[in-house]
Amino acid sequence: MVEQFQKEFRKRDLFYSIALWFLSLIIPDPQLHYRKEYGFRKRDLFYLMTILWLPLIWSDPHFHHLMVLAGIHGILALGLTLFLGYAGQISLGHAAFFGIGSYTTAILTTRYGVPSFFALWASALTASLVAFLIGRPILKLKGYFLALATLGFGEIFLVMVRESSSLTGGVIGIFDIPFFSFAGFIFDTFLKQYYLIWGVLVGLVLFSKNLIRSKMGRAFLAVASSEDGASAVGIDVARIKLGVFIIGAAFAGSAGSLFASVMSTANPETFSLNLSVLIVMMVILGGMGNLYGPIAGAIFLTFLIDGLSRYQEYSLPVYGLILILLLIFFPDGIGTRLRVRLIYLISYLGRKRRREKVEL
Amino acid sequence: MDLLAPLPQLLISGITFGAIYALVGLGFVTIARASQIINFAQGEFVMLGGMMTFFFLREVHLPYSLAALFAILVVILIGFFLHLLVIYPLRKASLPILLMATLGASLFLSSTSALLFGTLPKALPPFAGKDLLELGKVSVSSQSLYVLGATFMVLLFLYLLSYRTLLGKAMEASSTDPLGADLSGISKNLMIFLAFGVSAGIGSIAGIFITPIFYVSYHSGTLIGLKGFIAAVLGGWGKHSGAILGGLVLGVVESLSIAFIPSGYKDAIAFIVLLLILYFRPKGILGSPFMDSRRW
Amino acid sequence: MLLSVEEIVKNYDGVRALNRISLQVRKGTVKGLMGPNGAGKSTLFHLISGMEKPDSGRICFKEKEISGLPTHEISQRGVGRTFQTLQVFGNMTVVENVLTGMHMRIKGGLLSSGLWFPWIRTSEEVAMKEAKEILEQLGLFGRWKWFASQLSYGEQKQLEIARALAAKPDLLLLDEPVAGLTYPEAKQLAVNLSRLRETGLTLFLIEHHMGMVMEIADEVAVLNNGELLAEGPPDVVKKDPGVIEAYMLKK
Repeated sequence: MVEQFQKEFRKRDLFYSIALWFLSLIIPDPQLHYRKEYGFRKRDLFYLMTILWLPLIWSDPHFHHLMVLAGIHGILALGLTLFLGYAGQISLGHAAFFGIGSYTTAILTTRYGVPSFFALWASALTASLVAFLIGRPILKLKGYFLALATLGFGEIFLVMVRESSSLTGGVIGIFDIPFFSFAGFIFDTFLKQYYLIWGVLVGLVLFSKNLIRSKMGRAFLAVASSEDGASAVGIDVARIKLGVFIIGAAFAGSAGSLFASVMSTANPETFSLNLSVLIVMMVILGGMGNLYGPIAGAIFLTFLIDGLSRYQEYSLPVYGLILILLLIFFPDGIGTRLRVRLIYLISYLGRKRRREKVEL
Repeated sequence: MDLLAPLPQLLISGITFGAIYALVGLGFVTIARASQIINFAQGEFVMLGGMMTFFFLREVHLPYSLAALFAILVVILIGFFLHLLVIYPLRKASLPILLMATLGASLFLSSTSALLFGTLPKALPPFAGKDLLELGKVSVSSQSLYVLGATFMVLLFLYLLSYRTLLGKAMEASSTDPLGADLSGISKNLMIFLAFGVSAGIGSIAGIFITPIFYVSYHSGTLIGLKGFIAAVLGGWGKHSGAILGGLVLGVVESLSIAFIPSGYKDAIAFIVLLLILYFRPKGILGSPFMDSRRW
Repeated sequence: MLLSVEEIVKNYDGVRALNRISLQVRKGTVKGLMGPNGAGKSTLFHLISGMEKPDSGRICFKEKEISGLPTHEISQRGVGRTFQTLQVFGNMTVVENVLTGMHMRIKGGLLSSGLWFPWIRTSEEVAMKEAKEILEQLGLFGRWKWFASQLSYGEQKQLEIARALAAKPDLLLLDEPVAGLTYPEAKQLAVNLSRLRETGLTLFLIEHHMGMVMEIADEVAVLNNGELLAEGPPDVVKKDPGVIEAYMLKK
């Protein structure tokens, strides 16, 4: 009798252990593990394969459209995670760089016929330049004041765009931006755009990963942890902050350019404070100090917003409510507690079964 | 010169708006003095003050003063709920999280207001009729005088609260020295809770007094909240007098700027002022008790 | 003369924290800085390391003036320090802390690191080896994968010293290195410091622990209320009447 029980239990344990192992493969778990495996491991290959094959497996165009948006948000979140998640500085004006990128591309391609490939680089450069100009004075501020200053900058940019209609088309924006094209190949369907955006994202992830595992990544974390300690080991804190800011802006500028090339329009409504808030939420939900997490956060929030949109006027209040709830329950990011909670959940199921068995 | 002719009138409207910004700024300062938290939903309190009064006046058909009173009470309740449901659960969270939570709350409040009250702007009738007083070349609406009066009363109230009552001093103590206050039996969370109520009340008063002059709509809270915060920083972050001075300066500068630049840029003026002050003198005009002088 | 402080004056909001302090640290020696709390010792360290600017006077390191330079530049010239308030990087692992200490000695800028050029990779690998060696020297090697915040207080203090050493400084400023340490930890630290001194490092330390200072310091300077009371070998300073009075009174 006892042996029969033991066999049952062992089978169940085995099943749950295998389930746990499988899950541990795919769920990232930043803060509980030693981060030093900065090489590329099996999990990264799994992610890459998923990205490659997903749109072919699931060929709903609406899904493709959402993934394109998610990819753009992912690029934005990646840039901001270097600034916020690693270097610990708050920016509530990141959407402005997105807008700068969008409009640069829009103006260059519609009025001067610049090919979108070059417009992409020009957009990133313009955004970087603006970041350089305003970065020096603004980054001296800390905490709430930095948040406020970046917010202020974002709002000023928004007003300037709305008012200078000759350049930017004012409130209406710019239309008929040509699709992204490279060497004769035009990205006009959602599927093609998906590969474009996610290709760029993967490249940027590689760049960011290299940054993080080099001395620069440590410098970012040092600046976030203790500016005094950082300068005591020779780190030029102001220069590092400016550097991360510019990188984040460059990423956002590229995202803006790709957005314009994909959506064919650029208008002020797309880069309001709401977008800046959204990107910060993606970084927080993905986990600060985490590189893949914010991208997952980007996918999650993009789909969430799309899912909510069918409730029309209820969508915004519910969205605000969900944001607050997510912040209360997942302040370290969704992934961090998720694994522990899943382990708990799975083992709970096992324990429940065991209890029922014994009570027979 | 003809360019200068509208200036005195703009000055009056600038002072009026400045008083409103001062009130909103006082709301920020009250919470910050108790807890070092910046409540980005402060502007929504202002908006809700006006909205609620409109609702009680037009839908429930209460007399004006009763409608205003109920509105203030409801907004104070909302302030309490905001603390209990959002701030208190996050009391140990880091700064970006708190910031995002108040932004989320602001979004929730403004969109719920759109849901419940519709998206059209609402106006309230002036308190004492449309008479305009003529002082020399300028005409001052009686409403403006009411606004200034309200600001003065609120300031007086806050002054008495902070410096003359035990409660006010307890609130200050819990911000300056949390451990010491805790050991003295002052519950920091209770102080913050009350601070939210007080600043919600101040915000709603500001909303009620300004809506007769300038309509209120579901999205007007965000901008007014930001400008109020800017006013508080401008005048000297953390000081009541700073919020008043900052508010008046901001209001006047903003109003006068209309004479010189296209009106669409008016909202940007506040942010330009903000960037200037943060760059040149982050402590604000009158200095700040919250920032130490070292290495800012 | 490795470090030379000349007529330094520093005021804070009307209080004179340092009043015309002059002292010198010779290369290869261990100098102690003592005095009751509030005497201005940490202020002096802030001034030397560049976190504050003197109101008048100057500070020279390796015969060149450094007063007024930003902290990171002073660090790059060879001044390392630890902090009274323990500024360990809690969001990184132990070995990463030490690696950050080697920031100046590893190759790479923002762009080149992102592109992971081969010379950056080799530089990182070499640095990693050296970091582990440093940890081993200070006895922290066993926990190299742990996050710095998971170490005990005493170990974190040692980690801070390891980080400062990783930069291979010429002068190391230690701000109360044994404060909060248990007796065996403090003894171990004193041993480590003596060993360091033998490698040619110059040490300048703030310490209250009389015994330790007397043991390892070649020279001691005593501050009180921003004034320099005495400067010289430990035995001489110990007997100085001004010093005795200062410590007695402050009790």
